[in-house]
Amino acid sequence: MNTDDLQLKRATSSALLSLLNLTALPVIGFIGLLYVYSKTKPNTIDRYYAVVGIKTSLLAGIALLLVTLLVILLGGFESPLTWVYVTSYFVIVHASFILFATWTLTRSWTGEKLKRQILSK
Amino acid sequence: MKYESQGIAKMYFIAAIALFVGQILFGVTMGLQYVMGDFLFPEIPFNAARMVHTNLLIVWLLFGFMGSAYFLVPEEAERELYAPWLAKLMFWIFLVAGGLTILGYLLVPYARLAELTMNDLLPTMGREFLEQPTITKIGIVIVALAFVFNIGMTVLTGRKTVINLVLLTGLVGLAVFFLFSFYNPDNLVLDKYFWWFVVHLWVEGVWELIMASLLAYVLIKVTGVDREVIEKWLYIIIAMALISGLVGMGHHFFWIGAPAYWQWLGSVFSALEPIPFFMMTLFAFSVVNKRRRDHPNKAAVLWALGTAVMAFLGAGVWGFLHTLAPINYYTHGTQITAAHGHMAFYGAYVMVVLTMISYSMPLMRGKKAANVTAQKLEIRSFWMMTLSMVAITLLLTAAGTMQVYLQRYSAEPLPFMIVQDKLAIFYWLREVAGLIFLSGLFLYIYSFFAKGKEVEFIAEQAE
Repeated sequence: MNTDDLQLKRATSSALLSLLNLTALPVIGFIGLLYVYSKTKPNTIDRYYAVVGIKTSLLAGIALLLVTLLVILLGGFESPLTWVYVTSYFVIVHASFILFATWTLTRSWTGEKLKRQILSK
Repeated sequence: MKYESQGIAKMYFIAAIALFVGQILFGVTMGLQYVMGDFLFPEIPFNAARMVHTNLLIVWLLFGFMGSAYFLVPEEAERELYAPWLAKLMFWIFLVAGGLTILGYLLVPYARLAELTMNDLLPTMGREFLEQPTITKIGIVIVALAFVFNIGMTVLTGRKTVINLVLLTGLVGLAVFFLFSFYNPDNLVLDKYFWWFVVHLWVEGVWELIMASLLAYVLIKVTGVDREVIEKWLYIIIAMALISGLVGMGHHFFWIGAPAYWQWLGSVFSALEPIPFFMMTLFAFSVVNKRRRDHPNKAAVLWALGTAVMAFLGAGVWGFLHTLAPINYYTHGTQITAAHGHMAFYGAYVMVVLTMISYSMPLMRGKKAANVTAQKLEIRSFWMMTLSMVAITLLLTAAGTMQVYLQRYSAEPLPFMIVQDKLAIFYWLREVAGLIFLSGLFLYIYSFFAKGKEVEFIAEQAE
């Protein structure tokens, strides 16, 4: 396997691990992501996707776990309004992160960076 | 448009949109009845409005699927439709029968309607979504058989592609599974089994095949990605839809008197049900990323991507939210179900029909794509309808969560109607979102008549 193919494979793996971290394999996916990151070199496409994956995972961790815990602590475990907010917030934010990670995965398959206009000009 | 008979789709699409307007009008009427119980009573009682709202949804989606098939199949099969006259005849039969049934719901008490239509000879009425009089059900079967015959003969005597074969499989399933609506056992639990054999095997089974094939067709057309790539995706998606969806039906058998093993089967298999919808999102993003051309019909591309995303959210995420038996123990039949139902139907089926209309209507009107102004308005209507549906879903989710807590979880559970009063703020906000949705729908219709600058494109790109 030449360097380009290897980099593309690692880029795809990073995007996939980030998606898995958000869905079926939380934490395990993130550890995998750190491992892939350790194999990459600066200014390469695989490093780019590993960094995107790590940032997405950390941001998702804060948005989903920390914010949710704070709401429960501040709102009170026994308040129905706390659960109204937590359920709606968690579902929509979690789904948004999954959709972003899905888009990232499809972009990694092309071997290019994230930015591309979805609709033509 | 390559084949003249594809133009038959136009009459089906126009009828579909007209019935869609009716569905939403009854939806906002009902929305108001949630907070003003005597609104339009006794002229349009809540139960009649609900029946019209849900039945119109099914009927207009069927018109949309039929129109989509009449447009798609000749092009895929590379031949004219087998019997265009039959398609036109069935259109009028279906429209008149559907119209009379809706008028029956509105003008005659339901029990009297059952008497008038001689329901006692073969009782099939009185079940949610399948309220149609037996004679209407027989009419639906005749229309469906004629439709499947017409489409089937076109496919079988023409070019066979993965897209038209998957579509045909879905349409045959649609016709066959409806036959379960004619069996109405006295045992209520047994009745629910057969009722779900229609409802579930439609929306979480064969309709997914129809949806995936329509989406695949539009994506081939607007992205220019190789058919082979799209066909591989289609195979995997429909396999996953059937693997998860058939046994996933078990999630409807919780707490209705069915054996307890359904709690395991239903939970495990329906936890897999988001996978095909997730794959559709992955598929749509992927082919749009790899597109070989920028199609001039931007609105159709947006509808196609929107379908994949909203189907994943509505059917996948919101379905998973309450599908596991221990959670469903609390959420069964609450507003959480209504939240899921609204976004799933809109995301998966309404949007895929609108995608087909968006792609095909300009072609049937002799253009490659609608003019710039029309597309801008259509895109605006997309966002109005989609965002208001997200709002409706979130508000119903909030209402449902509150309902579960107050009515089923708290130490001192409150009665149903007391809880409903406490949810009024969510229902008012849902009504506002419903009115925005209705405005978006009117804007969508207006976009077909808007005049403006024609889009610029390279001729061969838009084929």
